[in-house]
Amino acid sequence: MKVLMFTWEFPPLIAGGLGMACYGMIKALLAQGVKVDLVLPTREFVYFPMRKVSDVDTLPAVFVNSSQQYEYKAQKFKTLQERLEYIGISSHPETYFQFSELIKQSKALNYEYWYSENTTIEEKQLWDDISTNLQGEEELMQKVQEFTLRAERLAQILDFDIIHAHDWLCYPGGMLARKISGKPMVVHIHATEFDRAGGPGNERVHKIEHAGMSFADKVVAVSQYTAQMIMSRYRIDTAKINIVHNAFSVPEDAILAKKRIFKGPVILFLGRITLQKGPDYFLEMAEQVVATHPEARFIMAGTGDMSRKMLRRSASLKLRNRFLFTGFLNRKQVELILRASDIYVLPSISEPFGISPLEAMAFGITSIISKQSGVSEVVNHAFKIDFWNTDLWVETINHLIENPDKCIKMGIDGMHEVNLIQWDEAAAKLRQLYSATLSEHIRKSEA
Amino acid sequence: MLNVVFYFQVHQPYRLKHYNVLDIAQGNDMFDDDLNKAVMHKVAAKCYLPTNKLLLDLIHRHEGRFKIAFSITGTAIEQFKLYSPETLASFQALAETGSVEFIGETYYHSLAFLYDSNEFLEQVMQHRQLMKEEFGYETTTFRNTELIYQDRLSDLIYEIEGFKTILSEGVDRILDWRSPLYAYKNYSKNINLLLKYYKLADDIAFRFSNRDWPEYPLTVEKFVNWVDHLTLSEERGRNQFLNLFMDYETFGEHQWAETGIFDFMDHFPTAILERPHLGFALPAETSKLANYQQESLSFVHPVSWADEQRDLSAWLGNDMQHNAIETLYELYQKIRSKGDEKLMRIARLLSTSDHFYYMCTKYFHDGDVHKYFSPYDSPDQAYIYYINALAELEERLVR
Repeated sequence: MKVLMFTWEFPPLIAGGLGMACYGMIKALLAQGVKVDLVLPTREFVYFPMRKVSDVDTLPAVFVNSSQQYEYKAQKFKTLQERLEYIGISSHPETYFQFSELIKQSKALNYEYWYSENTTIEEKQLWDDISTNLQGEEELMQKVQEFTLRAERLAQILDFDIIHAHDWLCYPGGMLARKISGKPMVVHIHATEFDRAGGPGNERVHKIEHAGMSFADKVVAVSQYTAQMIMSRYRIDTAKINIVHNAFSVPEDAILAKKRIFKGPVILFLGRITLQKGPDYFLEMAEQVVATHPEARFIMAGTGDMSRKMLRRSASLKLRNRFLFTGFLNRKQVELILRASDIYVLPSISEPFGISPLEAMAFGITSIISKQSGVSEVVNHAFKIDFWNTDLWVETINHLIENPDKCIKMGIDGMHEVNLIQWDEAAAKLRQLYSATLSEHIRKSEA
Repeated sequence: MLNVVFYFQVHQPYRLKHYNVLDIAQGNDMFDDDLNKAVMHKVAAKCYLPTNKLLLDLIHRHEGRFKIAFSITGTAIEQFKLYSPETLASFQALAETGSVEFIGETYYHSLAFLYDSNEFLEQVMQHRQLMKEEFGYETTTFRNTELIYQDRLSDLIYEIEGFKTILSEGVDRILDWRSPLYAYKNYSKNINLLLKYYKLADDIAFRFSNRDWPEYPLTVEKFVNWVDHLTLSEERGRNQFLNLFMDYETFGEHQWAETGIFDFMDHFPTAILERPHLGFALPAETSKLANYQQESLSFVHPVSWADEQRDLSAWLGNDMQHNAIETLYELYQKIRSKGDEKLMRIARLLSTSDHFYYMCTKYFHDGDVHKYFSPYDSPDQAYIYYINALAELEERLVR
């Protein structure tokens, strides 16, 4: 079986939660014999044919333009990094296209595929939603448009059984590929606009999300929590929705052993410092815990749009040198900060899944996670608290500080539990879903 | 008679590394030796050495009629010894002329006065000892870090035997209708006060090379005419003091050699001394020269020479600065009671006021000055590294 997969993140290209999930998922799919042609928002127009497990790390690329491919093959790259730079994998995808050019091409595209005879009114309606809401000169929207044009070309030249698109940025491309190829499409919901915005968010994004899910043959939600969101907020046919929980596999080169920095207990927040993740709740907890346990250290690791606000507030609360900021951390540094921590907290306001607690648990760190998260559905050896219930968070942290034996035991139990939550299981579910979708699709087209 | 009183601040802090959480408790050194060395080399080459050479020449040329005062911090002297011994030697050569006064202050250029009186007095004594050792000079004039002054300061300084005069800023809200050209007394009338004439001092220190300034270019003739003009208001024969206090880096570093600042300084004393009613005096000489009843001035709230506000807001204007300094002094108490000399030394290096200056967020107008002097990209960064350093210090303490 071969999958044409679209995603916006993949390490080292933006290694956020989505990137980490795609990495683990594809690696496990490859191990189970599924072939994946991966498409990323690279600067150059390439795709990544992945056939064996190691491909997720080496990222073999093919240029769509044959003369560029010839040039690329002739290059001698000393390092992987050098090769990836040539392809243009950066944390900020660049675009070569002029806006006017994009508009022209997108219009031609609308005409060619969506005004033909074999397009139903519903299909046309959904695509109209996409093209209307993708208009605009915002950098991101332009990139999505260019990405969508690439999907058109790839759908024509590649052979595959099924399309798999992750999150809204990839829905337009996936839809177009489906339209052109006639192959079924699975969309994968890692986060909705409601989660990201911590409120209603951007209406254009809602429309695109809705169109993508409606157009898809199957919708994968990363948790029951997300499935609920999809049903209640987007009114998607429940029969189409499947839940495949994320997993976490410890990188082979990771060292898990504790390596303390501080003698006192360390409580860690690790992730984007943005409203969705509840950093302000973390600060509130810190204020109250430090009052009872001045030996405790609170570390806020990561960056985000609320970094400065959190920094200034921590100062105004006079948290002394008990509340520290790391700024951006690379993979190795994340490992070090995890090894130095005792308690991990995820006070997210809305977390569709949340892989990072699994990572923390893999390091034997006792985790306290928001009930408003998908990850709370898959782990038992962690504390689960409503994000707004600061008193209970504080009580729990204090309890763990005062009972270090309990804290250690919980951490070890969690470690064992997480070791069983492997991507193989998620990949097996996906494989079954692919087969079911395919056979359903064949049955429908035969009829 | 109007006496020009030149006083130059010479200071270098020990700058902190970009100190991250993951650097803590790894046995790292917190201070950026490479940067501190590089800055010292640069400032020595551009300012200290050429200016000292010029001033020595001027003192010889004018046979004792040209005089200057320096306040040199302990952290600056230490770094001369480490990175630029020839600079220290050139200051010592100036000391030997007898036309130079050295002024007392806190060894670490700290804000200890505001947080810990005992520590403040200790640092003042430490600095006094240093001046004796390095220059054979017994200090009698005091100036607190960045001319920070308040009534209470004069009480503390009066306690120390030998201090007769304190330097501060000629703040309008204190002087009101009075002129900074006269020597005053502190509020309890036991210390002589000299106040900076900021208008003319800043013309040299800040505006000298500013092409947007209507008075640009500032010539010696023009400046001396302004000085002379000041004597017109004095009809009763009282001696006046024009207190030109500034950063020593004004020469060659803030105002580059290309601006003509050295030529200005080269010709300035001659132009002053040509006029019989103008001359130079050292701060220590002023109380004797004050041939009138000195009025006493009260400074209820602290003042400084920084920024337009001339208050403490450059160091203690936002929450980051407050949290940082309060954390430092709380920690310092713990270190002190444990008597760990090594950690006390680090805490004192961290008490240098520059660390708090880097966290200043008054980013318009004055903020530009702060940015120019900061080794960090933003006040937030400066704060993060500083707090990490304090976390490191505390870890070492509880070890």
